[in-house]
Amino acid sequence: MRVAEKTTHDAGTLPAVPTAPSAAPAVVRPRRRRGTNREGLEAGRRGTRTLLWTLLAAAMVLYGFPFLYLLFTSFKTPIDTIAVPPTILPREWTLENYANALGRSGVPASFINSIQTAVISTVLSLVLAVPAAYGITRYRTLSGRIFIMAALVTRMVPPVAIGIPLAAMMGTLGLSDTPIALSIAHTTISLPLSIWLMSSFFEAVPQDLEEAATVDGCSRLGALWRVVIPVVSGGIAVTAIFAFLASWNEFLFALLMTAIRSQTTPVVIANFQTQFGLDWGSMTALAAVYSIPVILLTLLLQRKIVAGMTLGAVKG
Amino acid sequence: VRISDRRFALFLMAPAALFLAVFVAFPLFRLIADSFYKISPIAGGPRDFVGLDNYVRAFASEAFTGAGWRTLAYTLVVVTLEFALGLGMALLFTMLGKSSQTWRTVFMYPLMIAPIVAGLLWKFLMIDNFGLIGTLLHQAGILADPNQIGWLSDPNIVLYSVAIPDIWLTTSFMCLVLFAGLQNIPGDLIEAARLDGARAPALLFRIILPLLRPVIAVALVVRGIDAARAFDTILIQANGGPQSASETMSLLIYRTMIRFGDPGLASAMGTIYLLAMLAVAFAAVATIWRPGKDT
Repeated sequence: MRVAEKTTHDAGTLPAVPTAPSAAPAVVRPRRRRGTNREGLEAGRRGTRTLLWTLLAAAMVLYGFPFLYLLFTSFKTPIDTIAVPPTILPREWTLENYANALGRSGVPASFINSIQTAVISTVLSLVLAVPAAYGITRYRTLSGRIFIMAALVTRMVPPVAIGIPLAAMMGTLGLSDTPIALSIAHTTISLPLSIWLMSSFFEAVPQDLEEAATVDGCSRLGALWRVVIPVVSGGIAVTAIFAFLASWNEFLFALLMTAIRSQTTPVVIANFQTQFGLDWGSMTALAAVYSIPVILLTLLLQRKIVAGMTLGAVKG
Repeated sequence: VRISDRRFALFLMAPAALFLAVFVAFPLFRLIADSFYKISPIAGGPRDFVGLDNYVRAFASEAFTGAGWRTLAYTLVVVTLEFALGLGMALLFTMLGKSSQTWRTVFMYPLMIAPIVAGLLWKFLMIDNFGLIGTLLHQAGILADPNQIGWLSDPNIVLYSVAIPDIWLTTSFMCLVLFAGLQNIPGDLIEAARLDGARAPALLFRIILPLLRPVIAVALVVRGIDAARAFDTILIQANGGPQSASETMSLLIYRTMIRFGDPGLASAMGTIYLLAMLAVAFAAVATIWRPGKDT
């Protein structure tokens, strides 16, 4: 990347290098030089940029609208919710749907279950994935290579295939219908992902770091704990968010493995449509309450998350 | 006594390996074992070894082969559309450069929404009578009647309608991954191609896409696996219906297991499904990625 940046800067001093293919060759344009190596594809001409911004605006409106409509609907009166023809904005803004949804028995408890399950699953994923990923990337043994392949293959296992045997196992262990059982099931999803992500983060850590630490008398475990972990703490945070989201939004295992006691909110949301007829208003309100905290959280931490999401894939 | 590095690496990996062995490999082993038995759905009921009978029954049933084709069609539609849309958005963001960063972040928001919520939301948009999409198309003069298209009630199109929330949820993921890949393409390569007179289509198909090949491979495989396992969005929107027209493999296995109480048959279906996914994933990685090539 550094090299590319340099050469494009040099290229920028040459005249008659049009930034857009349609630019007339005779016109010498000052080149945009924002960003690192974006000159290649970044559009420079005003007309092109206006067109692109218009396209982007249209895409954002289309893409953002469904969730906005959910929000608007949650503020309608229950009757307006299913009015024919439907309106986009509420005729009358009310919190009735929120009161109905949150006041329903089982809903507050399901929030506590969702939080408990997601937290336990996140901690479990990290405790298992961090040393495993370190062992894989730092020592590069044959067993490590086999292990990361096996971990990736587990990603392909359909939850519907192992959900029932897993539920039976939890019964044998005396954990039926507990947040612990569900969080173990969720960890089967997030652990391979966490190992994958953490491996990418560890790969970016120079090895001299812990070599220096071991020379100074640190044990290998001590070097990992005191030197390497602090360096990758950002990566651990990203992995934690992913593990948390995977559990928070998961539905199938929750459906198969929980009854009344440990039911999480996604299952409760789905049950709204069978148990109480079609209560769309309450359903939209509960869906909004469940989604907005995680959307806000991730928007706050957006940069790190983008890095985590793309890291594994781009490195291949 | 200092243990060898190899042992130390094993010691670090052991807890995670043990966890996956107990909670993934063991249930999988039970799944495969169950597929050779006829099992009574009642706990503690009889369990008779029937050999390959469940597999024979699976392949003979129209529900199973139908679900297989529907899963394939669903996966292809979802992955193709979100790849096209994701690439378009990634190019748009790249061409706008740094000034589009805030919008890139906002574009990510569906990734945080639970699939069950997304399915519900789109069901609400597409449902007959009070669905907004039909009404808006009617008001725009495109449809004569708001209920002209039975998004979720017409067996001919329901499979594609239930795919919409899935596409909506994860186009962001495609976009992010492809955007990151685009940032790694050296700018001077593009400049050189332009100096050689390459126009936009040639630039895209001869330079950009070939360079993105490994990134595209990973993105398609990851998303393909997820789409083939889609369950939540389909269950909440159409529950496999009408007339099984949206019954994909995970829904069929779920119903065979829970509703029809035939764990043996469901296990055989699950085993075939898993093997098929493994085969397709490996074939896809091998052909798209082409690890032998240096790109």
